[in-house]
Amino acid sequence: MSIYKEFTKGLMSENPVFILLLGMCPTLAVTNNAVNGLGMGIATLFVLLGSNIVISMIRHLIPKKVRIPCYIVVIASFVTIVDLLMQAYAPRALYEALGIFVPLIVVNCIVLGRAEAFASKNGTVASIADALGMGFGFTLALLLLGGAREFLASGSLFQIKLIEGWSQDFMLMGQAPGAFILLGIFLGLINLANMRKAKKEGRDYAPPGLECRQCNLCNLGEKEG
Amino acid sequence: MRLCVENMKKQTNIPMLVLTLSLIAGIAAALLGWVYLLTADPIAAALQEKTNAALSEVLPAFDNRPADETVTRGDVKFYVARKDGQITGFAGETVTPKGYNGDVTVLAGLTPDGAVTTVLVTQQAETPGLGTVVTDRKRQKTLSGLIKGACQIGLPPNPVLDQFNGMKAEVKQTPWAVKKDGGQLDAVTGATITSRAVGGAVFTIAETFANQRETLMEESNR
Repeated sequence: MSIYKEFTKGLMSENPVFILLLGMCPTLAVTNNAVNGLGMGIATLFVLLGSNIVISMIRHLIPKKVRIPCYIVVIASFVTIVDLLMQAYAPRALYEALGIFVPLIVVNCIVLGRAEAFASKNGTVASIADALGMGFGFTLALLLLGGAREFLASGSLFQIKLIEGWSQDFMLMGQAPGAFILLGIFLGLINLANMRKAKKEGRDYAPPGLECRQCNLCNLGEKEG
Repeated sequence: MRLCVENMKKQTNIPMLVLTLSLIAGIAAALLGWVYLLTADPIAAALQEKTNAALSEVLPAFDNRPADETVTRGDVKFYVARKDGQITGFAGETVTPKGYNGDVTVLAGLTPDGAVTTVLVTQQAETPGLGTVVTDRKRQKTLSGLIKGACQIGLPPNPVLDQFNGMKAEVKQTPWAVKKDGGQLDAVTGATITSRAVGGAVFTIAETFANQRETLMEESNR
């Protein structure tokens, strides 16, 4: 696969939030407005880039048996660096709004997932492209979700009121249930679009994560029957 | 190099694994130490700036550094503001655990004779849309306002926090209470607990000041 393809797959066809469904904790927790979503996305992008570069560089030196602890040490270091840099240079309000979710990037599935599935098997340049693609895909998804929630909650975007006279906030959207509802609607729409596209091209469509190798439902049926 | 790598792959002995892992952890620790040293000063400066920004909102004009001149009395930390050597006001800061969702930090400006001038909530984790109505002073930016280039200065108003302005506690006074508890303070419907917590914190600051006024003045005049 070319470098360009490594980059674009993270944006659309393998988008970490909408297709791979990884990193749901920050996705649901911090997207109450567009600024927080963007800030979290960029922080994750930096961690992903750093860990992918380092892990692809030292992938031949890491013994297979202790590779996960090694990845975690690398990832945790980058998260701490990002945390310190944000404390020092990011706007204080943004840092306080993201709160505990910046240190929690350590356990974000995307970062470890890309280290294990991509950086440990590919060269540095390809890993950089992969990290940028996945990072921007994550940022894009968070921005989209955050923007939609902020707009539906209070009629504003990036803290600027677009619909004047909207004085009562629609609090459901600003809080956790709204995140779940909106993410569900987004996922449904994306699956619908993919299904239509697959039908037009005349092939079967299986929603991601429900391909045969993960689901053993039909095997169970055989045993019972 | 290649040979070394091949060897490493074959070896599964534990000392080797331990060595590699500790090497990586050691390098990571060294790197983190370096970044920590680099960012220690900017982080302290950013925190200081936050305190200073909040202090300059609640205090009258001053030319000293109130953040460096603090006096603690009970639960309240007082910052002293002076201009040309004269005390122009105090700012009291206290943390109350009575918020709906953990601690609420309240900062209140006081005149030298103890009347509240401005109240700010500097740290809270209240429910967005309910508790934050009590605690936030937020200027709403609108699209038409941005196009017109309207520039609003000064502290954004908040009716719940502004009701304390000019209030003064006497020594041994009964605490201020929200109307629901038979007091005089206005509260936000649906956020009585937050309103109570903020009112209680402002009262603590004002009362502590009233009780300790002499010693505070004495200590800060030294």
